[in-house]
Amino acid sequence: MKLTLKRILRYIGRYKILLVLSVFLAAVTVALSLYLPTAFGSAIDSIVGFGNVDHNGLIKSLVVAAVVIAVCALLQWVMNVINNALTFGVAKDIRRDAASKLGALPLSYIDAHPEGETVSRVITDVDQFTDGLLMGFTQFFTGVITIVGTIGFMLRVDWRIAIAVIVLTPMSLFIAKFVSANTYKMFALQAKTRGEQTAFAKEMIENQKVVRRFGREDENIRIFDEVNERLRDCTLKAVFFSSLVNPSTRFVNNIIYAAVALAGSLVIVGNVGGITVGGLSCLLAYATQYAKPFNEISGVITELQSSIACAERVFELLDTESETPDGNVIPEVIKGNIRFDNVSFSYNENASLIENLNLEIKAGQRVAIVGPTGCGKTTLINLLMRFYDVDEGQILIDGVNIKDIPRKVLRSSFGMVLQDTYLFKATVFENIAYGKEDATNEEIEAAARAARSKGFIGRLPAGFDTVIGEGAAQLSQGQKQLLAISRIMKGLPPMLILDEATSSIDTRTEMIIQEAFARLTEGRTSFIVAHRLSTIRNADVILYMENGSVKEKGTHTELLALDGGYAKLYNSQFN
Amino acid sequence: MKKLLKYMKGHTLECVLAPLFKMIEATFELLVPLVVANMIDMGISEGDNTYLIKMSLVLAALGALGFLFSVTAQYFAARAAVSFAAVVRSRVFGKIHSLSFSQIDKVGTSTLVTRITGDVNTVQNGVNLALRLFLRSPFIVFGAAVMAYIVDKKATIVFLVTILILAVIVYTIMFISMPLYKKVQGALDKLTLTTRESLGGARVVRAFGMEEAQKKKFAVANNELNHFQKFAGTVSALTNPLTFVILNGAIVWLIYSGAVRVETGAITVGAVVALYNYMSQILVELVKLANLIVTLTKGVASGGRISAILDMEDEITDGEASADDVALKMDNVSFSYNVSNEPALKNISFEIRKGETLGIIGGTGSGKTTFTELLGAYYLATEGEVSVFGLDVSKWDKNLLREKIAYVPQKAVLFIGSVRDNLRWGNEGATDEELFEALKAACAYDFVMEKDGALDYNVIEGGKNFSGGQRQRLSIARALVKKAPVLILDDSASALDMATEAKLRANIKALSWGPAVVTVSQRTSSVMHCDKIIVLDEGEAVGIGKHSELLENCAVYKEIYDSQFGGAQQ
Repeated sequence: MKLTLKRILRYIGRYKILLVLSVFLAAVTVALSLYLPTAFGSAIDSIVGFGNVDHNGLIKSLVVAAVVIAVCALLQWVMNVINNALTFGVAKDIRRDAASKLGALPLSYIDAHPEGETVSRVITDVDQFTDGLLMGFTQFFTGVITIVGTIGFMLRVDWRIAIAVIVLTPMSLFIAKFVSANTYKMFALQAKTRGEQTAFAKEMIENQKVVRRFGREDENIRIFDEVNERLRDCTLKAVFFSSLVNPSTRFVNNIIYAAVALAGSLVIVGNVGGITVGGLSCLLAYATQYAKPFNEISGVITELQSSIACAERVFELLDTESETPDGNVIPEVIKGNIRFDNVSFSYNENASLIENLNLEIKAGQRVAIVGPTGCGKTTLINLLMRFYDVDEGQILIDGVNIKDIPRKVLRSSFGMVLQDTYLFKATVFENIAYGKEDATNEEIEAAARAARSKGFIGRLPAGFDTVIGEGAAQLSQGQKQLLAISRIMKGLPPMLILDEATSSIDTRTEMIIQEAFARLTEGRTSFIVAHRLSTIRNADVILYMENGSVKEKGTHTELLALDGGYAKLYNSQFN
Repeated sequence: MKKLLKYMKGHTLECVLAPLFKMIEATFELLVPLVVANMIDMGISEGDNTYLIKMSLVLAALGALGFLFSVTAQYFAARAAVSFAAVVRSRVFGKIHSLSFSQIDKVGTSTLVTRITGDVNTVQNGVNLALRLFLRSPFIVFGAAVMAYIVDKKATIVFLVTILILAVIVYTIMFISMPLYKKVQGALDKLTLTTRESLGGARVVRAFGMEEAQKKKFAVANNELNHFQKFAGTVSALTNPLTFVILNGAIVWLIYSGAVRVETGAITVGAVVALYNYMSQILVELVKLANLIVTLTKGVASGGRISAILDMEDEITDGEASADDVALKMDNVSFSYNVSNEPALKNISFEIRKGETLGIIGGTGSGKTTFTELLGAYYLATEGEVSVFGLDVSKWDKNLLREKIAYVPQKAVLFIGSVRDNLRWGNEGATDEELFEALKAACAYDFVMEKDGALDYNVIEGGKNFSGGQRQRLSIARALVKKAPVLILDDSASALDMATEAKLRANIKALSWGPAVVTVSQRTSSVMHCDKIIVLDEGEAVGIGKHSELLENCAVYKEIYDSQFGGAQQ
């Protein structure tokens, strides 16, 4: 908590001048606006009664009031603008740091944390933090000054009445505290219940087709209504309790008002002090202003607390360890000789996956990796691309440990298509051009043609300029894969990784793409993960994996002759 | 929005009492300056202490009564609004469950989720605030003017002009800044999208070395957001200073003109103080009124969007069950998703009996899934007749029809909850024995038993704690639990290796209740053993028959087969 505050202050510290100005202006505007009732009071005192008005005094007081009004309004506006610049600037700075972090997060973090959670840290949490900060500046600070100032001005008018008001204050504080304590609990419960309901509704609506296939409508509605009832109860309480703040402070305010009116008029009648009718109207105006800041401050304090909690969540993300620093060996040409040297790796310590793997692949070989689900095929690719780093041993490309090569250089020497195709919310053209911002129309069209996707792109509403939605919902899985393949077709690097790259494409189209691949992969080291054995048969080397280790290695004919796991897998499709 | 109001039924009392009580409270508030004026003019000038004490007690009593009325009103308003929202939410959720698939496609699932969460909340806030303020705020604003009229007729014009100018300022700023805040939201959406890309697309971003580009994209959106935030903030920051100037300027004028009139004896000093107090009351309520209007506008817009969902037509659900030996039949069926489009399916005819197997094979986008959706009447054929157990699907009671069909979707979707909960989707009352049986048949028994707690093992969001192949097998098991007379496997073995798939096929053939099985696939190996195979090519049935027949006389089938088994080269 203390550390978080310190870090927040460091971010704010970049705007030191604005901060000082803001505080200064807050003090001045509050002082001026508090002085106003006094000016009005003395103006009213110039009006004694029928035929008895002190014109000089009246004009003087009113001119002073007018000047105060104008200056106060102008400064108020300047202060608001400064506060905006300050808080939105802090939000921007924090987000900029978060963006740098996003690019450096290790894949292990991204894989282990739900996307929505990290997104909400960068977006919602920063927003809420900013809101809290802004409220802190605009309301907390001015609130405190207003309270102090009001007391000061009241003491000046009449100290006895002022003390009476100060004594009544705790009542207002007590009520505000009682309300906010209850409200907080209720809102927390409401947020939790609402979250539960939203999660359920989202899951069921997104998978509505499955829901209907299983006739789960009534059961779903029953579950929904049950949560809905609970939500209704706690929402009612939360809404009701929070709506108590205004009436109850108004009530306290009114009591104080009555007390001031009584005390003031009794003092005037008893003629025990110098208080006048103008003084009384001035005191009444202060009494009205007095309760409001208490109310605001207690609101701001809860807001600030939750805003600090939000900041903490953002800082947690910023504190996540980044990928290990890059090496600095930049090979002139990458030929594509790959060696796994005693490599061990596991995703978590308790379950070993790959142990002491040794493997040698010569430049230009087409390597097919096959094996049952969960045998470690995709893991090999994660290691080659350095999405994950080996625990022990090393992977060498042309004799250089890949840990010594900068990631960007290493990764750019691979062309990669994964089973779970990721497309960006952008045009088809931009999606294919991804990674090469200066790509020409001809290049992109050629890539699309090579990947057999030009045909269906032509049938999209705006061809290459069609914008694909987030998650690319309107394309079929197969079409998405075709686009991902187009993406790597535009400038093939020396090595290729195809992880189930054609799993959702029908086999006829796949065959044509394979031919294109075969032409393009000539002389390029390529790794192909596939279930369809037809895809695999033409590989130079087939690796048959089981439980994280390579059990069989050889050509299709060799492995069939071996009559082991591969042969069994291959023959199963004919049974 | 109007149509939604019927869900207020049962809360008429709250809806009348809440605003009424708020108005009573407002009346009390308006009386306060009048009482103070009397204290000054009668109590103080006469030196009457008893009168002063009496009047102070009146002030306190007004405060206390106002508090009671106001709290009761807040409770009524909250209860009416919250209950209303709960009913609407429940109706919308129910409605979504009775929309046809084409309607769901058209609206989009993320929109439906927003309707049921965000929009309902906005409506709830609108109703709540409206009940509380729509009488109170205007009442106080104009009430203050009326009271001013009672105190001093000549001052009324100052009040009316001030109210007019304040209203113009508040609403002008509001209307200028609202589109600005929309821009802020737009920039924020862009930022969210870029963040999601950096996470969800991390592998692609990094494989193409685009980290810097992504960072730049984020920075652009971030700067844009900052710019809009500051601009919108600067505009709306004008509200307070401007209203402050107008209001206090009016007070200066009131005191000055009041002084002249006191001198001539037209009004008293107490009256001037009262006018001053009334003027102060206006501002607070005017700002509240502006907020109310914003909230109401939003609420009405959300209400309209919700009504649009509730107004959609339900899919037809009449018709009665029947029994027939012919399990599935299509007679010259064509279908297109919407009128202008090319048909997704054209002139399909076939029939299969109970216990028989049907294979559907075809390339990406050839209409295979559409085919299965016609069988469950999720979409209705544009031409021709689809019948299940002898009855046209459009005449079936949809619930009864769907009870007859167990379906395994292409994308294996699992839900949050235990493995048992997921499997019981097929049949609420299934015993663990039955679940085990289904798991065994779906080749899922072994890996489920390996998990902590087996059937009690918790499935996390999206079923991510199972591999793709495991999810598919669980989703098959779920369908088997249903023991329905028709089983549809929609390309649901794509992530399984050949050996597992072969075993699965044998298990399904041996199922005790002998369902009619429809297997949809891109692989010939998955359908070659079927009693009948339909070959789809761009929505058209280019071949129907057994594997051996199709190899002879269906060119497309032979091409598919060759592409998978390399027959042409051997």
